[in-house]
Amino acid sequence: MPVVSINGLKKRFQDQEVIKGLDFQLTEGKCVALLGANGAGKTTTLKMLSGLMKPDSGTIVFEGAEKGDFRSLIGYLPQYPVFYDWMTGREFLEYTGKLAGLSNKEAKGRAQELLELVGIADAKNRRIGKYSGGMKQRLGIAQAIIHRPKLVMLDEPVSALDPFGRREVLELMEKLKKETTILFSTHILNDAEEVCDEILFLHNGKLVEAGTMSQLKDKHQQAKIDLVFKENTSRYSEELSVLYPVTSIKINGEKASLFVEDVEGAKKLFLTEITSRNLPLIKFEISRTSLEDVFMKVVQK
Amino acid sequence: MEILEGINWAILAPIVIIQLILMVVAIFDLVRIEKTDGPKWVWALVILFINLLGPIMYFIFGRRSY
Amino acid sequence: MKQWLTLYKKELLEMVRNYKWIWVPLTFILIAVKEPMTLYYMPQIIDSLGGLPEGAVIELPVPSAGEALAASLSQYNTLGVLIIVLITMGVIAGERKSGVAGIILVKPVSYARFVTAKWAGVMLLIWFSYFCGYFLSWYYVGILFEFISFTDFIQSFFVYGIWLTFVLTITIFFNSFLQSPGAVGFITMGITILLSLVSSSLSHLLDWSPALLSVYTNTLIMGNGFPEELMPTILISLFMIILSLFASIAIFRKRELA
Repeated sequence: MPVVSINGLKKRFQDQEVIKGLDFQLTEGKCVALLGANGAGKTTTLKMLSGLMKPDSGTIVFEGAEKGDFRSLIGYLPQYPVFYDWMTGREFLEYTGKLAGLSNKEAKGRAQELLELVGIADAKNRRIGKYSGGMKQRLGIAQAIIHRPKLVMLDEPVSALDPFGRREVLELMEKLKKETTILFSTHILNDAEEVCDEILFLHNGKLVEAGTMSQLKDKHQQAKIDLVFKENTSRYSEELSVLYPVTSIKINGEKASLFVEDVEGAKKLFLTEITSRNLPLIKFEISRTSLEDVFMKVVQK
Repeated sequence: MEILEGINWAILAPIVIIQLILMVVAIFDLVRIEKTDGPKWVWALVILFINLLGPIMYFIFGRRSY
Repeated sequence: MKQWLTLYKKELLEMVRNYKWIWVPLTFILIAVKEPMTLYYMPQIIDSLGGLPEGAVIELPVPSAGEALAASLSQYNTLGVLIIVLITMGVIAGERKSGVAGIILVKPVSYARFVTAKWAGVMLLIWFSYFCGYFLSWYYVGILFEFISFTDFIQSFFVYGIWLTFVLTITIFFNSFLQSPGAVGFITMGITILLSLVSSSLSHLLDWSPALLSVYTNTLIMGNGFPEELMPTILISLFMIILSLFASIAIFRKRELA
């Protein structure tokens, strides 16, 4: 069941179109990464989904939203969260909880529960002004889920953290995954792979890839054979590629990469040909492209 | 100094006390607060030496509110 | 209502934590009480500054009690208004500028409650401070000069308070769409000054302008009773206050918040 359906979402700032028509759905219970380089439109997309920004055209339909106000269904952590520095962590959580409709008692209980979950219970009576960056990030996650929203959106939740803090937040997200739907943006593929089931790949305001991790891997993790010859690498490689259905061939200086569907078949054929013609082979390597390659390929386009 | 005799101190005292409270509260806050807009020592001078207006200027312009 | 109270209590707590509950009332007291005192001790002050040259005779008319109290209000008309604008100019704009509004307003917070809770928070602070200051000034005038009737005092208190409320509400109004507290303060101050100047110089055309409430208050204090323009002016002022409040909410709802 989709939690939210997005159709034809567009947004422009002055004369620059930042989001050029997005269509996607988020399924309940999934953890989805919104992946893209800086400036791809991730933050803008999340701001529109949170209601802070209004799209120029297109629709955002949340399952079960009353009169178009879907704010009770979502939790949102901005990229650079700012709090009331004069409040304590506990006060802030109770405040946001009550604003989201919890009773005094519920808000108190839920605040305490979350302070422990995110690991800042020791600092609950300290002013937020004295919190470190990592503590603020965790407080930010706690306020985003205080009212048990259907969808939690986190904008670059780990980018600004040191490796230690980043690990903690990623582990926290693992826990959250079991309770709710998560959409989080990142420019780091590793983070996306680590916690997420699905990826939405955003580039220049458009969705260039979308799907589950395994779908994307199947689609993009092509087998390739790297060949290096002592001389005439490109000529020999092209001659070889005629023998067997090669999806594409890429020559990069002294190295040729041949992308194939069936590695085993290609391997046999190529090796026989090379030995029978006694070609001056230096290197023969079988490998797979990673999502990283796909990511880089799209980004560098 | 005979002019001072004409002044009823019971009437003037509250004003002096209020100014003093403002100054003390401002200094107390200045010491405890993490950051101010502008260097702290300048605000200390402003609070202590600009009569009446000093503490008020500090509260309005010196405190970072968020 | 519950959500409104949550928002309202947060405003009050914030004003405790940043000492507004201390310094604003004290400042309003100082501003008001200074005037009757200065007037009372004027002869001594002139003396202490070296006195008058030999032979010079200046008749210093002893001010009336009404004049002394009116002097306090005229201080509020400048310094008081300035302080109101300065402490109100960042109430919403500042939260948007800092980014904290981005966290608060993605919660299902009603925009109307958000704006009115802020308005009511500043209202309570200002009316409390204004009452303390004006009441003490009235008391000092009573001791130093003579007591003005309590009814006149209360009536003038409420009438002039409407003008202060008007200024406060206009400041909130500009908060609803400007993101810079400085710009809010600058524009509100400009409009207030302009309105006062235009109203007093064209008072025959604009005798129902809210800016003239201070003039009518003076008439009240001097014991000259209700001017006939007072009632319509009060009604127009209240109408404009409510209108700006509604407009603030409507505009705020339409704005993109981040």
